[in-house]
Amino acid sequence: MSIPYLIAQWQLPQQGRLLYATLVVLGAFVLILGLVPLLQTLPPRGRRVLIVTITFLAGLFFAAEFFLPVDWTAIFPKDDPTRNFLTPAIQPAQNVLQIIGALALGLGTFGLVRLHMRNVVQKRAQWGYSVVLLVAFVTMAIFSILNTLSEKGVVTKTPLLERGFSILFDYTLVQLDAAMFSLIAFYIFSAAYRAFRIRSVEASILMFTAVVVLIGVVPLGAYISYTLLGLPQGPPPENADWWTQFLHSAGLPSIANWILTALNAPAQRAIEFGVGIGGLAMAIRLWLSLERGVT
Amino acid sequence: MDWLIQFLPLNIERISVWIGVLCTAAIYSLLYRENPIYRFFEHMYIGLAAGYSLGPLFVDIIYRYWIEPIWGQGYWAWAFVVPYGMYLYFIFSERYGWISRIVIGTLIGASAGLFFQEFSSRYLPQLNSTLQKPLWVTSANPDVTGWDVFGNFLFIAILLSVLTYFTFSYEQRGGVKRVATLGRWFLMIGLGAIFGNTVMARMALLIGRIYYILSDWLMLPLGRGGG
Amino acid sequence: MQSPTIWQRMLSIDRRLLYLLLFVNIIVFLIAPIRMPASISPPVQKFYDEIEKLKPGDLVMISSNWSASTLAENQPQLEAVLIHLMRKKARFTFISIEAQSRDISYRLAERLTKTHGYEYGKDWAHFGFVPNLIVAIKGMVNDLPATIKEDVRGTPISQLEVVKGVKSLKDYKMIIDVTPSGTVPIWISYSPKGIPILYCPTSVMAAEAYTYLDSGQITGMITGAKGAQEYEQLLKIEGLGARFANAISFSHVLIIVFILLGNFAMFMNRAQARREA
Repeated sequence: MSIPYLIAQWQLPQQGRLLYATLVVLGAFVLILGLVPLLQTLPPRGRRVLIVTITFLAGLFFAAEFFLPVDWTAIFPKDDPTRNFLTPAIQPAQNVLQIIGALALGLGTFGLVRLHMRNVVQKRAQWGYSVVLLVAFVTMAIFSILNTLSEKGVVTKTPLLERGFSILFDYTLVQLDAAMFSLIAFYIFSAAYRAFRIRSVEASILMFTAVVVLIGVVPLGAYISYTLLGLPQGPPPENADWWTQFLHSAGLPSIANWILTALNAPAQRAIEFGVGIGGLAMAIRLWLSLERGVT
Repeated sequence: MDWLIQFLPLNIERISVWIGVLCTAAIYSLLYRENPIYRFFEHMYIGLAAGYSLGPLFVDIIYRYWIEPIWGQGYWAWAFVVPYGMYLYFIFSERYGWISRIVIGTLIGASAGLFFQEFSSRYLPQLNSTLQKPLWVTSANPDVTGWDVFGNFLFIAILLSVLTYFTFSYEQRGGVKRVATLGRWFLMIGLGAIFGNTVMARMALLIGRIYYILSDWLMLPLGRGGG
Repeated sequence: MQSPTIWQRMLSIDRRLLYLLLFVNIIVFLIAPIRMPASISPPVQKFYDEIEKLKPGDLVMISSNWSASTLAENQPQLEAVLIHLMRKKARFTFISIEAQSRDISYRLAERLTKTHGYEYGKDWAHFGFVPNLIVAIKGMVNDLPATIKEDVRGTPISQLEVVKGVKSLKDYKMIIDVTPSGTVPIWISYSPKGIPILYCPTSVMAAEAYTYLDSGQITGMITGAKGAQEYEQLLKIEGLGARFANAISFSHVLIIVFILLGNFAMFMNRAQARREA
């Protein structure tokens, strides 16, 4: 059993838990935030050493958990042979990373609200829109938190809450989101007409593939091939001659599928290999803090 | 007449649908030109999206992984996690900004450490699958036809030529350059497939929106097409 | 000042006219009562066959990561797949990596399961939203109840009937990823070996996934709304995919015609300019 796992198991007594828990949390805030003035006294070199060490240790845990052999029963006879001694610590680590992840996502929201608050307070140009944003933000935040809590049964689900959240979420946010992203269809159409020019071998290949895929994968391609041209559909019968076999694979859907699986797949795999090797190099650089300007 | 009564926003359900169409129309007004109505709805959208995310963030994460374990079950060690995570918020301060990098370092270190597993189970099986492609017809494996073998040769040729194109460590000259050019052409097939699929996805999104207008708002009986 | 030629005018056409054309084209083909059955593509067929192998009561993890921005692509997929799972009497649980997708998938499943007699908690459940999918998967492989702790309704996982006795993600029979973002590599990388992964990407992501299909890292794939139409055809139902199908086909025709027109106009314009010079 690993130490982080054991620490995560320390429990407060049942009696007076609410009070103790509140006190511990307050204490934790005071302690951790109280470290800030202390940390501030570190010289720039010391700050960097601290960040590099923490980055390395965070990476080391997951790397070691993955690389260490699973079965440790030779050294720890009571150990579970299907996992190594670091694996149980995945649990607390996952909880910690989820919480930090949520706080990181909250950072974006915080930055946004801060910016628009400033717009309003300083009455910058078009600050009215910032008011709209803030009003929408506050209203939705209240309804969203209450609705999610009501699902858990922490607060009661009133008809007003249910209807209000439905209008704000299903009929406003969802609609605006869908509409916003569907705008791209108009731009892609206009751009394809005005900018997609066949000037080189590369552009011709790209254009040809795109057209075959565009028609081949949709029902129209099947209609043209099998209904209008009367090509046979499905796999050819066994021991068919080469002409029958050819006819069975000459439909647009078959050609599109062949392009996607036989020609597109290896090209994508080559990209994957490039990404994989690049990603591995980048991961090592980040882990060892060799990548300047990130940590 | 019945249709009209059902169509008008006379009850809460219909009002909701009308609001949805109003939102869509306001966003589409941008297509004509930039205008205050669009700006209004754009800001409302950003505000709603940001406000909405607080619900799941707070309840699914902070409540589930922090408040419940501490106050509910008494696992007090968790108390330190949120204050530690709050270090992130020093990013807005010029003087204390560096402190946020401690937490950012934790996140980056963790994802770097996790990448080794990804490398081994995402990329290596692809290498394995490539190396295991049969390149000749034998009686030992009667399922492999001549056409399969041709496909496998083609697969490996494309893979190698595209990888050659991606090799920038030395100057590409002569035969290598020709292979790289071929690789670029094959890459264009991949990109053409992506482009075709992208067009399809974007069209589908617009179609979904127009479907909502026709079906939910105008209540037209659609759905006679398709298979 | 020379008046512009027809080719020049074609090249400098008002983009709003193009927008209107696309809009009208889609309206017409959404309404038009044309029936064109799709040809089932092999990845969709494999997807279907894999779900057909499920036995009643088998547990499936659905990773639903789409929000309203890709609703038209992912909703038809998820609806068709859920209907198939419910026909096979399989049990399923949801998890989402994005906040909005949590509520969208929960509300959609709540609506759909009711019509099929599925009961929340007994036949299906939603595990809510996690911002870090990688560690969530690693956690679930190690100890599922301790990772998820409770579902969206606040029931502790240990008391949830649908995952009764489930210790780890290894106890699942299948993983289905309905997504507009790069989550399938995460499932491929961190989920237990031997559990088939089925993939429902938006069409944008589909071309890249053919390398995983080739290596067997994913077993089947439904490409966007048009893949959903093929799936509905296999299930013999008419859902959103079938309703969108004609409009998708003919919007493609429109865009191809206009790419060709644009190139033709450019070519003619150049030829004319050369002649005049």
